[in-house]
Amino acid sequence: MTIQFHRLRPKKETHAGMSRRMFLMTTTMAGITTGAMLGGRAFAASGVLTAAQQGTLLRMLQDIYPHPDLLQLSHYEAIAATVLKNAEADAEAAKALTDGLGKIEEQAQALFGTAYTDITDPDTREGLLRHFQNEGFFQTVRWTAYFGIYDNKDVWPLFGYEGSSVEHGGYIDRGFSDITFVPQGPSLEERMAAVQG
Amino acid sequence: MAKFDLSDDSVVVIIGSGAGGGTLANELAQKGIKSVVLEAGRRFDLGDIENDEWAMFNKISWLDKRYSGGGWHGAVNHPTLPAWIVKGYGGSTIHWAGVALRFKDYEFKTRTHYGAIDGANVEDWPVSLEEMTPWYEKAELKMGVTGKTTGMPHLPWNNGFRVLAEGCRRTGRSDYNSGPMAINSVERDGRPSCQQIGFCMQGCAIGAKWSTMYTELPRAEDTGLCEVRTDSMALRIEHDANGRASGVLYADAAGKQHLQKARVVCVAGNSIESPRLLLNSASSMFPDGLANSSGQVGRNYMNHTTGGVYAVLPEKVHMFRGTSVAGIVGDEVYHDPARGFSGGYYLEFLSLGLPFMAAFLEPGNTGWGRGVAKALESYDHMSGVWVLGEDMAQERNAITLHGTEKDQHGLPVPIVSKTPHNNDYEMTEHMFKTSTQIYEAVGATDVYELPAYPATHNMGTNRMHADPAKGVVNGFGQSHDIGNLFVSDGSQFTSSGACNPTLTIVALAIRQAEYIAQEMNARTI
Repeated sequence: MTIQFHRLRPKKETHAGMSRRMFLMTTTMAGITTGAMLGGRAFAASGVLTAAQQGTLLRMLQDIYPHPDLLQLSHYEAIAATVLKNAEADAEAAKALTDGLGKIEEQAQALFGTAYTDITDPDTREGLLRHFQNEGFFQTVRWTAYFGIYDNKDVWPLFGYEGSSVEHGGYIDRGFSDITFVPQGPSLEERMAAVQG
Repeated sequence: MAKFDLSDDSVVVIIGSGAGGGTLANELAQKGIKSVVLEAGRRFDLGDIENDEWAMFNKISWLDKRYSGGGWHGAVNHPTLPAWIVKGYGGSTIHWAGVALRFKDYEFKTRTHYGAIDGANVEDWPVSLEEMTPWYEKAELKMGVTGKTTGMPHLPWNNGFRVLAEGCRRTGRSDYNSGPMAINSVERDGRPSCQQIGFCMQGCAIGAKWSTMYTELPRAEDTGLCEVRTDSMALRIEHDANGRASGVLYADAAGKQHLQKARVVCVAGNSIESPRLLLNSASSMFPDGLANSSGQVGRNYMNHTTGGVYAVLPEKVHMFRGTSVAGIVGDEVYHDPARGFSGGYYLEFLSLGLPFMAAFLEPGNTGWGRGVAKALESYDHMSGVWVLGEDMAQERNAITLHGTEKDQHGLPVPIVSKTPHNNDYEMTEHMFKTSTQIYEAVGATDVYELPAYPATHNMGTNRMHADPAKGVVNGFGQSHDIGNLFVSDGSQFTSSGACNPTLTIVALAIRQAEYIAQEMNARTI
């Protein structure tokens, strides 16, 4: 993905004029604090991870696909539960996960002298995670998060996606051409005339 | 459906049931010619179609082991999925979006118009647009293509395309429309009209879009002259002592091998499997593979110069409502070297569902984080295009066989190598600039540029050429080396053109059926 920014961009946008590199170095978006994060309902109790590692995992999921205004903590907790369930069924994956979470913590301590979950700047946390993005454990967590959010029918309405339509007779009577900020397309008569004669 | 004996050497054996193979089977059947179609995948019907991107991807895609190679980003980001095509009854006509464009005249004669291009293998087709025009018309009538040939109006414009069209109007463009599409805009040929369901590329759940799955294949079977064997993976083409194709060895669902005898063999397994089969059929008489005296089998792999562009508009668009490719912008399809590249390109409106948008916005290991998440929160405000343009043939872009790794049938795994030519980079830059300018004109606030998807348009790996030293097949798809061996899919293409290949594959298959019938009658094959 390359992002092209345009002069027509509305002024109120919070990330106006910033490249992604800038995202990594600025603090325009308020993160969810660790306290708030752990204050919610605990996800599935698991023998695979310690409580601290579960906190790291939950923070990591929110940093991988951060939607603080759209998703609830419970959405991320459900994904964490899936990650744990999969790890419980696969000793090798479980080890990769615990080792990986350990490496994230080590890196946080080495670079910032603090726990990963205590880093308040979301860009700093993302930058930290970027170190590990080519590792298997990271991509396992990332794709579990991907499916838990973007391929999750319960979440789709939050993004304005309506999904399957065939059972409703398609979108033909359900707004396939309902926007008003650009002109209508040609009428049936105009479309007929264009291909005949 | 007919049942033919394995030892029946009077049949035409067709490998593949998609746009090329499915069409050829029905055309031959309608002429009274018997055929056995070997389809590697399973039998599908409309009941298998779901409006679900990943469910259908997992159900219909060709997911046998393959490797991406070369310098394109997919070698890293899609290492085992170079191409996005279908394995099953109907082939990639289940997945295709329905765009039914003809090649332009200059696109059949690229060597004449472009000249020699450094690093590329640009040649003229042995056929011209003038020769192809009546076959294009037959294809359009067969498939039900909206436009003047059928008199069927183009489809109504959906939200996403209306945004694109308005941008085109404001930037002074004139060639943009919601067709030609092989999707019924009115009931036709026993199939209903489009209900703007979306999910065209997951298979049309009502059959409004042409697919061999519910047109050519069942019609061929209904004649009693065509037997379609699904779960039948062709392993090698056999030949006799005279060097004529004599049969096809294939594996059934249980892995059991059978040899189907043949009078004629037609290869239509798409541009990866077709050359792979010819290469895997090497023998002491043909040590470099069948039909490969030119050395061009597997070479000149083309898949279009492509990318995606998604713009965030000031208001909601809901682009997923309705036909997936709802409109085509054609006014960049011309050859003018002053633009810095040869050949032209289309912009085709293309909606993605949220799952695929999230997967392909930034493919690979880096596609996560605040930038991606922020972009996806604008999903319902997006309109976008798939850009596709002429891809320069290069010998180094090729299907080759892995030295050691074998698939479930014991055949070497194919490696699909693609390194873009400088022409591709220049064109891509122009495509992105044009698309951005159009969307800016309707107030786009952000524009996201996406790299190429795994290829759906795979072409050129058994190219046509008038000169047997420079191509694998002649202008009828007939092998220069082996008279009763034909290539019937997009691997025949000498150049890629800018447009989606399916209409040309179907037109060539109709024409090839006529030629095969004529040659069989004349007993030359």
